[in-house]
Amino acid sequence: MTGTGSARAPTRWPRRLVTLLAFAMPVIFILVPLAIFLGYSFFSVDHGEIDYTLTVANYVRFLSDPIFLPVFWNTCVLCLSVAIICVLLAYPAAYFLTTLKGRWRYMLLMLLMVPLLMSYVIKIYAIRSILGLNGFLNKALVSLGILQEPSSLFVFNMNAILLTLTLLLIPFAILPIFLTLERIPPILRQASDDLGASAAQTFMRVTLPLSLPGVASAASFVFVLAIGDFLTPQMVGGVSGFTFGRVLYSQFGTAYNWPFGAALSVALAAVVVTAILLGERFGRNRGASV
Amino acid sequence: MSGRDSLLLLRRSGLPGRRQGPSMNEKSDLLTLRSVSKSYGAVPVLHDVNLAIRDGEFLTVLGPSGSGKTTVLRLIGGLEPMTSGEIRLDGQDISRMPINRRPFNTVFQDYALFPHLTVAGNVGYGLSVRHVPRKEIARRVAEALELVQLGSFAKRYPTQLSGGQRQRVALARALICRPRLILLDEPLAALDLELRRQMQEFLKSIQREIKTTFLFVTHDQEEAIGMSDRICVMQAGRIRQLGTPHELYYKPNCEFVARFFGENNLVPGTLGQVQGELRSIDTALGRLICSVAGQPHLKNAPEGACAFAMFRPEALHVSEVHDGKNHFSGKIVDVAFAGSSTVAIIAVGEDRSAPRLRMRLPSRFSGSALSASETVALSFAPREAHLVLS
Repeated sequence: MTGTGSARAPTRWPRRLVTLLAFAMPVIFILVPLAIFLGYSFFSVDHGEIDYTLTVANYVRFLSDPIFLPVFWNTCVLCLSVAIICVLLAYPAAYFLTTLKGRWRYMLLMLLMVPLLMSYVIKIYAIRSILGLNGFLNKALVSLGILQEPSSLFVFNMNAILLTLTLLLIPFAILPIFLTLERIPPILRQASDDLGASAAQTFMRVTLPLSLPGVASAASFVFVLAIGDFLTPQMVGGVSGFTFGRVLYSQFGTAYNWPFGAALSVALAAVVVTAILLGERFGRNRGASV
Repeated sequence: MSGRDSLLLLRRSGLPGRRQGPSMNEKSDLLTLRSVSKSYGAVPVLHDVNLAIRDGEFLTVLGPSGSGKTTVLRLIGGLEPMTSGEIRLDGQDISRMPINRRPFNTVFQDYALFPHLTVAGNVGYGLSVRHVPRKEIARRVAEALELVQLGSFAKRYPTQLSGGQRQRVALARALICRPRLILLDEPLAALDLELRRQMQEFLKSIQREIKTTFLFVTHDQEEAIGMSDRICVMQAGRIRQLGTPHELYYKPNCEFVARFFGENNLVPGTLGQVQGELRSIDTALGRLICSVAGQPHLKNAPEGACAFAMFRPEALHVSEVHDGKNHFSGKIVDVAFAGSSTVAIIAVGEDRSAPRLRMRLPSRFSGSALSASETVALSFAPREAHLVLS
């Protein structure tokens, strides 16, 4: 017995170390910073100095001040709209992809993913120049006779943020929907046809319900990415396009009120966690195997 | 409601407009395939297949993998288009009828149950896409589940069922629409042996009860023998023989069927003379006499033509009685106990290329009377032997 015990000991310690590291990394780099943030949200600032006495004043201010809650709410609605529009646009695209055969399918998928390789800021600039007063969109609409003169409807407001976020995030919606659609065994559609369903019935009763997990994760991806974004609103939102991300940014930057910023990000984190949990809840496939 | 009551209900309430089935003794053709061919690109998988399926029968399409048997089923079901030929239902061409309009339902190999629907949802699917009223769906789902003995499983999901249970759900789902023909694509392949045996009996009994035509595809000849009214043996995209299990077993029309269908002894030789219902064949075992009763093509084959003398392992006997026919001696090479029977491998003649025969005897508790390297006198009755042209 002792022989086998001593032989096992040297392999056991490195293994334990790896296990420890695997757990330590997320704790040190994710949980601890989050906990510090949570802690900061209960402090306050006095003349630029952080006062370390515990208080819930930051949360009270967030809930009672007439500025923050409406911005918070509008941002949630905005990001929800982005998520819905992304999913509505991505679904047909992903569905079309699954109808393609072999090489074409993945070529086109790669093409759709190419924007992810580009710098975020460059993409925003590009989109801004398309949406701007002298941008491509306005020129096209004017030359088509739809508009009399260039409109400022598409830039430096909420619409601009909506359009830009949708364009930026749509690849994140296509991918999960495509993957779930692709994973539906074709035999299920054949079984549906065989049982007398029309093409529309097969889609509504088999394909769509089985792809809902992908739709749920696509929506939660897009929502979470959109709500955490402050750069896009900052660059295309102008004065009227004021989102919660920008409020946060200003608290940490210009206002130098870290405790209040922390309280606001706790509120934001609550929404994000809720979105992820909802996505997870509906993203779980009831019948993993067929 | 007992299973039997629900059976009566299922049978009595036929689809409106459905032709009343013919009585059991008048078996008419339900479905006919006329020179059906299919190729995938340049690869042909079916060559000029002609097949008539009788109303109410249990027809098995049997063949090794790659024989095109599943393709036949998929063409009939409308899952794939034909390259040429036509399919007729009650004499009417349905070759171009879309899959969802054909009055056939399929039990797929891996069941293809909808994972997001309950057992009841799966079984009722075919009715609900036809906009049958909810109440009637509920009633018929309950009947169908009763029939397959899954009455209490209506609210479960497919992942919560065992293989055999899923199998029965798939069957209930296929028969609830009262199809003219149920297509079964190797439905028992994924089940273990014991369950497979049970399901074979179960399928057969259901088929008898609801009197619906079953087209069953399998590569397992034992399964085919046990369940079928008729068997259609396929090889390399062609039908080799169509007949009752008995016909196929005792009167195979070619070497492939003779070898594929059960254990067999095939001894090559050249045809000799016809004497009434018997014909001789000269082989390495000497001159053998085989029956040609009721098979004019064997009677009329030219003398000297190459053929096989065929006799089943159970037809071979140890016998010292010498009546001059089909009598020879051989050396036992091996004796293998196989439960209810014992198989002896016998070499006839000294050289290595000598034919090896299989003999199957009922096992006895006291052990086999035969032992290896013993030389024994063997014979078989002419009526137990058959000729196969090569």
